Amino acid sequence: MGISRRAFLAQASALGAVASVGFNVNIAQAQQSDTITIALAARAPNGVNPQQTGLTGGDNWAIHQVFNTLVKADPGTFATTPEEFRPSLAESWESSDDARTWTYHLRRGVEFHGGYGEMTAADVLFTFGRQLDPSIVTNGKVLYQNIQGVEAPDDYTVVFTLERPDPLFNGSCIATLPANIISRAAFEERGDEFNHSPVGTGPYEVVDFSTDGIVLQAFEDHFDGIAATPNLRIAFIADTTARTLAFASGEVDMIEGVRSPGWIPQMQQRSADTIFDATAPGSFNSLHLNLTQAPLDDLRVRQAIRYAINNEQIAAAYGELATPMVGVIASQFPGSVSKESLPENLRYEHNIERARELLAEAGYPDGVMISAFTSQREDYASIMLIVQEQLRAAGIELDLQIIDHSTFHADNRSARNAMPLQSSSYPPVPTQPLLQWLSASAVVQPDGTGQNNFSHYGVAIDGVDDLLEQVQDEPDFERRIALVEEIEQKVLTDLPLLGIITLSYVIARNPRIDLGFEVQSGYAYWPLNQARVVS
Amino acid sequence: MIRMIGIRLFDTIPTVLLVLTLVFVALRLLPGDPALVALGDYATPEQLNLFREQMGLNAPLWLQYITFTWNMITLDFGRSLISNVPVVDILARNLPYTIELTVVATGMGLLAGIPLGVMAAVYRNKAPDNGVRAFSLVGYAIPDFYLGAVLLIVFALNLGWFPISGGGHDFASRMHHIFLPAVTLAMVKSAFIGRLTRTSLLEVLGRDYVRTARAKGAREGRVIFRHGLRNALLPVTTGLGLSLLATLSGSVAIELVFNRPGIGSVLINAIAERDYPVIQAGVVVFAFFVVLINLLIDLAYIAIDPRIRVK
Repeated sequence: MGISRRAFLAQASALGAVASVGFNVNIAQAQQSDTITIALAARAPNGVNPQQTGLTGGDNWAIHQVFNTLVKADPGTFATTPEEFRPSLAESWESSDDARTWTYHLRRGVEFHGGYGEMTAADVLFTFGRQLDPSIVTNGKVLYQNIQGVEAPDDYTVVFTLERPDPLFNGSCIATLPANIISRAAFEERGDEFNHSPVGTGPYEVVDFSTDGIVLQAFEDHFDGIAATPNLRIAFIADTTARTLAFASGEVDMIEGVRSPGWIPQMQQRSADTIFDATAPGSFNSLHLNLTQAPLDDLRVRQAIRYAINNEQIAAAYGELATPMVGVIASQFPGSVSKESLPENLRYEHNIERARELLAEAGYPDGVMISAFTSQREDYASIMLIVQEQLRAAGIELDLQIIDHSTFHADNRSARNAMPLQSSSYPPVPTQPLLQWLSASAVVQPDGTGQNNFSHYGVAIDGVDDLLEQVQDEPDFERRIALVEEIEQKVLTDLPLLGIITLSYVIARNPRIDLGFEVQSGYAYWPLNQARVVS
Repeated sequence: MIRMIGIRLFDTIPTVLLVLTLVFVALRLLPGDPALVALGDYATPEQLNLFREQMGLNAPLWLQYITFTWNMITLDFGRSLISNVPVVDILARNLPYTIELTVVATGMGLLAGIPLGVMAAVYRNKAPDNGVRAFSLVGYAIPDFYLGAVLLIVFALNLGWFPISGGGHDFASRMHHIFLPAVTLAMVKSAFIGRLTRTSLLEVLGRDYVRTARAKGAREGRVIFRHGLRNALLPVTTGLGLSLLATLSGSVAIELVFNRPGIGSVLINAIAERDYPVIQAGVVVFAFFVVLINLLIDLAYIAIDPRIRVK
């Protein structure tokens, strides 16, 4: 078969045209008063199922609008004490005196999206059943480890039995993102498809899920009343410049900010009336010192590092996004210690001379070299570069490598890093960072089978395991907090890890959007059911 | 013709197998753990292990390799380790945007580059030639992500003529969305094609048959386009193929700046997340395009120069 040159050229052009047309995707446009668009820093959505793995920050935003937990905090806050939790799918709840039995009374008449009927105890059992089943891989399984069993005496009552007391069970488990209640009927019917067409009870339901983003529509039968704005679009724009331009043009109303020095002033220069909603504390940034490696095995060297690092100066670089840390727990949360409450020797006011003296006492009068690596992610790299400069002034040369983020985490878990900076977001549940970072059972292992105790505290030297046991057996919130403060002091004495700064999660908002509340703290997402276009 | 295409496709099988093996080995040598990315830093060792077990990452490497090769041969690309979405869906959503950008940008580059090259050759060492040379220099020198951002700020943000981000949905909106990113890429391409056309045309214009054409009294236009350009286009076609491949795989910066869906940013993201199935399938697709474009170039040679025939 032959083909003439002319025919070939014509056909090739036609093929090009067809390729350009491609296929159609349908998605609502922003900039209408009945639609609010928020753009998050990720390439594309992965799903809107609270139990699936690999969720991005943008997915979390969608999940928070589509589902409800049994109890919740006030919008834009964290509930820092047991009294601060509010009813959501549960109207009321009570815990036993030993804080090991928690009973929730469900709200009646709560409807699932898409005609999937009333939410009952069966859906709650199904949700938690999947999380408790060790043979199913789910998001945030570690939050359920303390649950011994869950049962439903009737359609509107659910009872959790815990292995150990937990006066903050609502904060440590019930009000977390993976504990959002999913529809059993919809999940069983849709299977994997549930990730993209989820069914919850929230103020918004998913109407479109594509590479462009997630389109949500107000759910008319929401138990707490219909959302103020009919449509919500969650867009995904990974590149900072592209996100900023989309915001400047009005194409999107809210964008995820950048946790790097100078970002807010730069944005304010462009448009002075931009509103910044930031969570305080945000992420905890802590520097873990590997106690098995010289010279960090010497307390005097660790003290020298503590005196040389100036948390206030690092926080100042980030402006209003950061607060300096004192101990392990952010100063906004119960269990944290303040400099004023500490004895003089544990305050570690920035002092280069003292750092040099301690180094000399430890046998390093001419300074010392320490090798470490950190992630190339903006927040990690910039904090560590400042730390490197500060340590240099005291004669501590940090040979710092900046590497790919996935490799960084995998190598940290394989005990390869002498000084890993860890950035993690925690709710006000002090046992979480303490257990994950300081308990002997969580020590990192060279074969990667360990967990997040990067310093080897409690293994290389005596740690706080006894105190941690006491905390976990303490049913009373106040006494628990007192024990946590004791742990903080012990950690400040031994210095296996150094709190550096907390760094807020920040969203830039167009002043034409009113959220309906003020963002003070909380997770890196908040409800948008009261948000409206005001001008 | 069909036989030739068949032979050419058959010849590529060992190449593709080699590429697959290299990708498989390189990925397994790379540090980092997809389980840790999917489940987060605080996942329990039991869950991490269960995840690896279910995703087949605990199997011996030789078994993983055989499974992987077999799956690729049977075009079973599997699911993303991170999002659990079938890889075929991820490719189907993103590939059309990459193809349309490549086609439109190359088309624009050709439409601008060839006339510029001809003009430069005809007016050699005169003002138009110097102008084209200056344009080429600028086109080469400006990084595409920078040019893209400048065009975005001027034409999308300040003048509001084009959308800021996205890929568009229906034909009209897709053409609207593609204009600025395509112009950005076309700028570099036209500089490249312009230079190539100039050099090649100058060489051809010095040939005996061109002198003969002029001697027999052919009009200058006919000499340049019929006798000169036709013959000068062969090296340009080769250059065009290379440029097409570069755009397919190298438009990541453009995708990011214009927030366009596309296979480049999918792959970069997958590499960061150690999402093996997505990376492997992406590389297979690229290998396929390399084969396809080389084949198209060969066909284009035949179309342009009738003296080239299948042996």
